[in-house]
Amino acid sequence: MSLLSIRNLRLKFGEFTALDDVSFDVAAGEVVGVVGESGSGKTMTALAAIGLLPEGATASGEVNFEGANLLTKDEDALGALRGDDIGMVFQEPMTALNPVKTIGDQVAEGIIWHTKISKAEALDKAAQMLERVGLSPAQFPLDRYPHELSGGQRQRVVIAIACVLSPRLLIADEPTTALDVVLQAQILDLLRSLVKERGMGLLLISHDLAVVASMADKIVILQNGKVVEAGPAKQVLRNMREPYTRQLATASTYMPKRTPRAEGIPLLRASSVTRDYAFPRKSLFAKAGHFRAVDAVTLSINEGEMVALVGRSGCGKSTLARMILALDKPTSGTIELGDIDINKASGAELRAARRNMQIVFQDPYGSFNPRKTIEWLVSEPLHLLDLKPGREEARTLVQDVLQRVGLNETSLERYPHQFSGGQRQRIAIARALITKPKLIIADEPVSALDVSIRAQVLDVFAELNANLGLACLFITHDLHVARAITDRVLVMSHGRIVEEGSTSQVLDNPQSDAAKELVRAAPNLAKILIS
Amino acid sequence: MALANLKTLSVPTNVLWANAPRNPAFLTGFILTALVFVAGFISIFWTPYDVSLVTISARLKPPSLAYVFGTDHFGRDILSMIMVGARNSITVAIVAVGIGLIIGVPLGCWAAARGGWKDAVLMRGNDVVFAFPALLSAVMITAIFGPGAVNAIIAIGIFNIPVFARVARAGALAIWPRDFILAARAAGKTQLQITVEHILPNIMHLLIVQATIQFSLGILAEAGLSYLGLGAQPPSPSWGRMLAEAQTMMTIGPHTALFPGLAIVISVLGLNLLGDGLRDVLDPRLNRAK
Repeated sequence: MSLLSIRNLRLKFGEFTALDDVSFDVAAGEVVGVVGESGSGKTMTALAAIGLLPEGATASGEVNFEGANLLTKDEDALGALRGDDIGMVFQEPMTALNPVKTIGDQVAEGIIWHTKISKAEALDKAAQMLERVGLSPAQFPLDRYPHELSGGQRQRVVIAIACVLSPRLLIADEPTTALDVVLQAQILDLLRSLVKERGMGLLLISHDLAVVASMADKIVILQNGKVVEAGPAKQVLRNMREPYTRQLATASTYMPKRTPRAEGIPLLRASSVTRDYAFPRKSLFAKAGHFRAVDAVTLSINEGEMVALVGRSGCGKSTLARMILALDKPTSGTIELGDIDINKASGAELRAARRNMQIVFQDPYGSFNPRKTIEWLVSEPLHLLDLKPGREEARTLVQDVLQRVGLNETSLERYPHQFSGGQRQRIAIARALITKPKLIIADEPVSALDVSIRAQVLDVFAELNANLGLACLFITHDLHVARAITDRVLVMSHGRIVEEGSTSQVLDNPQSDAAKELVRAAPNLAKILIS
Repeated sequence: MALANLKTLSVPTNVLWANAPRNPAFLTGFILTALVFVAGFISIFWTPYDVSLVTISARLKPPSLAYVFGTDHFGRDILSMIMVGARNSITVAIVAVGIGLIIGVPLGCWAAARGGWKDAVLMRGNDVVFAFPALLSAVMITAIFGPGAVNAIIAIGIFNIPVFARVARAGALAIWPRDFILAARAAGKTQLQITVEHILPNIMHLLIVQATIQFSLGILAEAGLSYLGLGAQPPSPSWGRMLAEAQTMMTIGPHTALFPGLAIVISVLGLNLLGDGLRDVLDPRLNRAK
C-alpha cells in the first residue's frame, strides 16, 4: 500500500476550479516531484496532502494517508498527524520560522507537543536533529535566533523541524527557490540523504524541472489544476510525449536568438570600487568595525555589451549594482559612465548619467508603488529629462515603450496588481527604457518568473540589445540566464571579482573555486537525463 | 508560496467600500460617530431651545415631550446644550488632530527619510514630550496661559504631534527599503518628492486610523479639561462642564449627569470602533487572519 494516495482530487473556490481530477501516489522511500507553473495547483496539492486547505475551498475525492482519508478527518485528528507523521518544508525560510523564538525551542516545540516528553529531553533530541542537518550545536548553539543565521542555515532549521519526529511523509514546497544554486545543491543533498536514511516518502513541489529531475523517482506535471503527465521521472522527461512537457523543458533551457555585435566603445568603468559597512560599536570608545561588502572591484562594460555578474547570495553583487546606479556611495574608488564620474558629478551631470542607466528588479511585485497607475509609474523616470514632456507627449512615450516590450496600449489606467508577474516585469523594463538609456542593470530579472514567461522576458532583452544597442549588466545566480543572454561573465565572491571571461569560456571551463562551485551546483536538465 | 505574497501586496482604495458592510465594528462605529456629527452639525442652524435661555420655572425638569433630555438647574434644555457641546467638542478635536497631523507627519517622514543622528535627536525629543501625561500637561498649559477653548485646543494638539510623528516614521521606514523607492531614486527624485508621491499614499491608511483614535482621545481630553473648568468657558456649553455642574445635582436630577455622560461615551466608543473597523477594512491582511 502506498503511503499517500491522492485519488480524483477536485478542489474548488466558488466557481474557480483549482485542482481537477488529480490522482497520484507516493510510496515510502519514494521521491515524487510535482512540477508546474504558477497557478497550476502545485501548492494546493501540497496543502491538500497535509490537510491545510485554505478557507473557502471545497474538496472532493480522496487524500489517503496510510489508508485514511484526510479530507474527512477533523482538525484535531489532522493536528495529531501534522508534524508527527507528515512534515512540511516551506519555501521562504525567513517567514517559516518564528523570529522571537530560539531555533532549539522551535525544533523542540513539535517534539513536546506530540510526544509529551520533558523539555530537557526534547531539546536534547532537537540538538541531535540540528547536528544531523549540518548545524552542530558547538557552532550553532540552540539559543540562536533565526535572524542570526543565513538563508541556507534557516532552511536547514526548517528541515530539522519537519524531520525531527521522523515523519513518514515529508512535503517540500519549493524548498530551494529562495536560495542560491550552491545552497540549493546542499539542501537537495540533505533532503535526499534524509529520505534515504529514514525511508520517508517525499513530495517535492517545484517549478524547476532540473531540480525535480535530479531528485525525483516519479514526476507529476500539472497544468491549470490538471495532471498532464505522470510517471517515472527520467522516462517522462526523456520521451516528452505531451506537448506541454516538451514546452516546459524547452522553456527552461531557452536561449534567445542573438546577433553578435561589433565591439563598442567603453561605456561604464569602475576602478577599485570598495564599500565598507560599519558594524555597530561595541562600546562608546571602541573603534567601529566594518564589513567589506565590495572589495576593490574593477570592471568595464562596453556599449551594446551583455555582461553577467554571477555569484552566490551575499557576495556583494547588489551592493555593487547600487553603487553603479549612484544609489549608494563607494567608500573608495571611482565609477565613470561615459566621461562622467558619478560620485563627483554635479546635479545636472548626475541626471544625465541617470538617464543613461536604469534598473530592473527581481521582484515584479515589489518594484511598483501599488497605488499608482501604470502610466504614472512608467513615466516616472521622465523626471530626469531637462525638458519635461507634457502630459500628451509623456503618454505617447509610455505607449511606445510598452509596445516595445510587447504590451498593448489599453492598459495605461490600470494598477500594478491587475497585471501578472510576467507583465509586471515587462512594465519594469518599459520603465527602465523610457529615458532611452544605454545601460540597464537587471538584478535577477527573471528568477521570480515561470519558465515560459522567463523565456519571453529574455527575448525582450535580446531584442533590445540587438535593435537598440542596449548594454545590460545581468546580476544573477542562475547560470542558465547568464549562458542564454550574455557575452561576458564576471564571477564575484566575497566582494571581489574572482574570474572574468567570455560566457562560454567561464561556464564550460571555470578556473576559480567560486566559479567551479557555481557551475557544479547548477542543476542541468540535459546532463541529468543523459546520466 | 507565491499565492501568499500576492495577496499582501496592494490595498486598492475601493477595498474600503467592498469590505465595510461586512465589518460590524466599522458599521457600529460609523453610525455612532455619524450621530454625534449630525447632532453637532444641526446645532449650527437649529436647537430645540436657545442654550443660554434660563427658565427658572422649568428647572431640573425630567425628560418629557417638551424637554426631551430634561433641563438643568437653570432650566436650560439639556438636548440643546448637548448638541452645541457636540459641535464644540468636534471643533476642538478636529483642530487638535489637525495640529498633530500637520506638524507630526512631516516630522516623522523627515526623520525616516534622513535617518542617522537627525532621526535619533528628533525621536528622542518626541519621547520627552511623550513622557509627560497629556492631560496633566494640558492642565499645566491652560494654568499658565489661562483657561479657554483655544488654549485647550493647543494643549491637546501639542500632544498629538509625537503620536503622528511616530506612526508616520514607523510606516515610512517600512516603505523606504522597497524596490519602487530605489526605482524612484534611480529616476532622480528627491527625498521630498519620494515622500509625497510614494511614502504618503502608502502610509495614509495608518494615519487615517490613528487620526480617528486621536480624535476620540481629543474629545475625551476636551471633556476632561472642561470638567476641571479649563476648557470652553460659560456660557458656551461643553459636555465636561455639564458633568461637573450635574455632580451636585445627582440625587435630585440624575438625568443632568446621564445625558452628557452618554454623549461622551457614545462619541468615544463610536470613534474607537470606527478606528478599529477602519484598520481591519483598510488592511486586508488582518481581515484574512481572523
